[in-house]
Amino acid sequence: MSGLLERIAGKLRSYREPGYYTKLDHKWTMVIDLDKCNGCEACVVACYAENNLPVVGREECEKSRAFSWLRIERYVEGEYPDVKVKFIPVMCQHCMKAPCETGCPVYATYHNQDGLNVQVYNRCVGTFTCATYCTYDVRRFNWFTYKWPKPLEAQLNPDVSVREMGVMEKCTFCIQRIRSAKDTAKDESRPVKDGDIKPACSQSCPTGAIYFGDIQDPESVVAKLAKSPRRYRLLEELNADPSVIYLKRVMGDGTSSHE
Amino acid sequence: MKRRDFLKFIGIGGVGAGAGFVLGKVSKPPGAKLIPYLIPPEDIIPGVATWYASVCTLCGAGCGTLVRVMEGRAKKVEGNPGHPINRGGLCALGQSSVQALYNPDRITKPLKRKGPRGSGEYAEITWDEALKTLAANLIELKSKNESEKFHLLTSPLGGTIDRLAGEFVSAFGSSNYSHYGLFQRKNLAFANLSTMGTASIPHYDIENTKYLLSFGADFSSTWVSPVNYSNGYGKMRQGTGERGKLVQVEPRLSLTGANADEWVPAKPGTEALLALAIANTIVEKGLARDASAWRGVLSRYKAKDMASICDVPVERIEAMAVEFARTRPSLAIAGDSVSSYENGISGAIAVNILNQVAGNIGVIGGVMPNGDDLGNGKKIDFGRKISTLISAANADKIKTLIVYGANPVFTTPKAARLEEALSKVPFIASFSSFMDETTAHADIILPAHTSLEDWGDDFPDPGVAAPVASIIQPVVSPVFETKSLGDIFIELARAVGGNVAGKITAPNFAEYLKASWKGLYSRNREMAAGTLGFEDFWNKALQRGGWWGPSRKMTATVSARAGEHLTGAPARFEGEEAQYPFYLIPYAQTAYMDGRGANLPWLQELPDPMTSVVWGTWVEINPKTAASLGLKEGDMVNIESPFGKISAPVYLYPGIRPDTVAVPIGQGHSHYGRYAKGRGANPIEILPYKEDPLSGEAALNSTRVRITRGATGERLVKMEGSTKEFGRGIVQTVSPSEFKRMKKEVV
Ligand code: SF4
Ligand code: SF4
Ligand code: SF4
Repeated sequence: MSGLLERIAGKLRSYREPGYYTKLDHKWTMVIDLDKCNGCEACVVACYAENNLPVVGREECEKSRAFSWLRIERYVEGEYPDVKVKFIPVMCQHCMKAPCETGCPVYATYHNQDGLNVQVYNRCVGTFTCATYCTYDVRRFNWFTYKWPKPLEAQLNPDVSVREMGVMEKCTFCIQRIRSAKDTAKDESRPVKDGDIKPACSQSCPTGAIYFGDIQDPESVVAKLAKSPRRYRLLEELNADPSVIYLKRVMGDGTSSHE
Repeated sequence: MKRRDFLKFIGIGGVGAGAGFVLGKVSKPPGAKLIPYLIPPEDIIPGVATWYASVCTLCGAGCGTLVRVMEGRAKKVEGNPGHPINRGGLCALGQSSVQALYNPDRITKPLKRKGPRGSGEYAEITWDEALKTLAANLIELKSKNESEKFHLLTSPLGGTIDRLAGEFVSAFGSSNYSHYGLFQRKNLAFANLSTMGTASIPHYDIENTKYLLSFGADFSSTWVSPVNYSNGYGKMRQGTGERGKLVQVEPRLSLTGANADEWVPAKPGTEALLALAIANTIVEKGLARDASAWRGVLSRYKAKDMASICDVPVERIEAMAVEFARTRPSLAIAGDSVSSYENGISGAIAVNILNQVAGNIGVIGGVMPNGDDLGNGKKIDFGRKISTLISAANADKIKTLIVYGANPVFTTPKAARLEEALSKVPFIASFSSFMDETTAHADIILPAHTSLEDWGDDFPDPGVAAPVASIIQPVVSPVFETKSLGDIFIELARAVGGNVAGKITAPNFAEYLKASWKGLYSRNREMAAGTLGFEDFWNKALQRGGWWGPSRKMTATVSARAGEHLTGAPARFEGEEAQYPFYLIPYAQTAYMDGRGANLPWLQELPDPMTSVVWGTWVEINPKTAASLGLKEGDMVNIESPFGKISAPVYLYPGIRPDTVAVPIGQGHSHYGRYAKGRGANPIEILPYKEDPLSGEAALNSTRVRITRGATGERLVKMEGSTKEFGRGIVQTVSPSEFKRMKKEVV
């Protein structure tokens, strides 16, 4: 009996073990330097502009239904006058062991050959399972089919589909930019170079806090930054193996006179 | 982004081939079809993006942009990586400029007032009728020898359009052309004029400084040149050199303050005294680079005397002084918590003195003066004040007023009684493309293009200690029946006739602009380097977004006479403490700035970085103060000054002095489209009418208020669940000393 259980558990484990790709084409990785980020939210607007995120209005915001794929979390410690504030941009962490992928009954969310956690809108039936399983609360659900009052719709990015009611969505690492960089590289018969791809958030960031690239390329900026002694990942102990690496903020013993 | 599709340019022969329209004519919107052209212009390839270089005009910083255009529609505005101001980044407001272009509440055609003033009832008219009506009014004024009764009020325009507008007004025979904006930072410019001889803001080299002492300069959100400074900030923290430190002096922790290593919540109004006490300590301790001239001036500001006035312990003042003087290079910047007071110039001068004493002027990582070597920079005319306009209107000295870009009805206190003054002006025209509160008073509206549809140029002030000249070019054909702002002046000049038409002869603004650049080119030999004549230079500049030269190091000295401008006393706040116990700090918030961002839906839904509030106004109160008043978060309160009352829900904010409350500026519009109208409250309404007599800058921190219950209104909508991490280690940190021991990553 226990042998049978063991076998079933083994099967489940092997299914959940992300070993179904023996080799990835790329492993897109984001590095966010929290010592540079000043919480200005330029990246948040960039994501809205790039990815056709709808504006839902005050009442829907009150129900926590705002669409931001990327949010700046802000934490406050201490009491006046010893107040410390910290910011962190949080988007889909593109986990290599993504909890959301295990739950979807129709495989609408899965891992692709580039190490990305992708969402197939046409497959999604809106069970909400993935959003419930997500460690980082980054999935957003289309409760309605949202409209852009004319002529605001003229701004919509034709490279990104406009989603409809009943579909789950989240940060894609700006997959359309990845695809277009790959196309350009192919046109020019060369591999994608480090720096060819800048997701919208990274492009806009005034402080230059967001880096993006292929960590499999040892010469890439992200591969080098990933070795930083300041490196950590969000809720790492939960073992989702995220593809977003944070660099720790420098703060703490900054008393005035001496060091 | 495909390299070969990058930086297409238009403008050859004055024909805007890129956007598929002919300049000077209003063309129909591209239409509903996906591909609106039978024979597509060469750079409209279905599905392929074209990028145009231009300039963001949403604030005065002048960030360079690249606009992504597909099938004749603007899709995204990004920072131009080659532009020396912003180096690729773009703030939240700037990126939303595309929502201004495609705003559903734009004024789409010229309008003529139908109902009573301010009712917002208008009838559509043709451009021909609109220009004729306005010209007829002006001609009548001229024929009665009342040319001086014509006033033009604009936002702080610069460059060629400012010159054209000025030419129009003077050719007409009037001297009344004013600029108005809530955040012109004229106190800073005036302080520099009177102490260093140039009425411009220098380049603050945040990137290379090692100790940044910011007096309430919220450069992470909107202060002066936010993207440039934020870029510098990122490099200051994690660049190639040693990590720089940030110390923020302000009564309410701003977004920038939230990133500081130390927060010094000095008592509101005393920050200038604190700066002087620091400077004096530096001199007394023998750490000054330039002591002799200052010993006398500064001796009144002893740290031990200032400590209790400023509410900052004497040990802390001394420690700051030592660290500021010893850390090389260091830099002090004069933001709103030292310069937005009644004696704001005095505060800005105090900070200049501090920099001079510490030897920070004219050095890398310090204050780097900007020259005006292009001969075309923004000249700040301190005489152009809103008060001049208000008193002229009240004295029946304005018969015709044209307004563009400025929205003083929203951004001046009720106590200024501007609306009453406007009611005395017989004829008001607006060139705005949005029904803002001031435009709602207009008798006739001739809507101008947004900057994504128009030509222009920009000479950023502050620059980056290098000459910068940027070009604004139309990236799409006009969405509605609006006109280029320059063309409106040119066509109006033609319609008015006489010497006005004689003076302004350019066929259209695009030509006028090009001619102006030709002059610029011939005066600046550096521009000619590597080009084959003007046409070649112009085409290259259009592709690149403008022209910028190498940085040049200039020096300046703060004249010892600067001491004369110091008031030596804390700034005054209206209202007796017994009746009005709290200082009011109205502040510019990331998204709305002076209110201009409130009609853009992305920005309404953008959570405020410090409170996560969306779609509304709030009042920040220290939790202890709130407890003593029996208030909890979300309670609606009245915020009452001697000049009026607004109401807003309470947000409990530990980053504010217990004797201070703060309200963001930007909401509380009575007009300005569906996203802005009737939402939140406008704290400017309850301020006293105070303008610096020398610079003309409004004093924002100038009144006390009381907080009372019993208000009704909108609920607080915030996106955060909690401000606490609950020990989950979400934002992990290392201490500066630990960091010093770490191996630096090399990239
Ligand atoms: S744009 Fe950059 S600095 Fe601003 S919040 Fe985003 S990551 Fe932080
Ligand atoms: S990578 Fe793209 S989709 Fe993801 S948060 Fe950044 S802008 Fe949004
Ligand atoms: S700071 Fe922002 S609003 Fe101002 S010019 Fe730059 S991008 Fe535009």
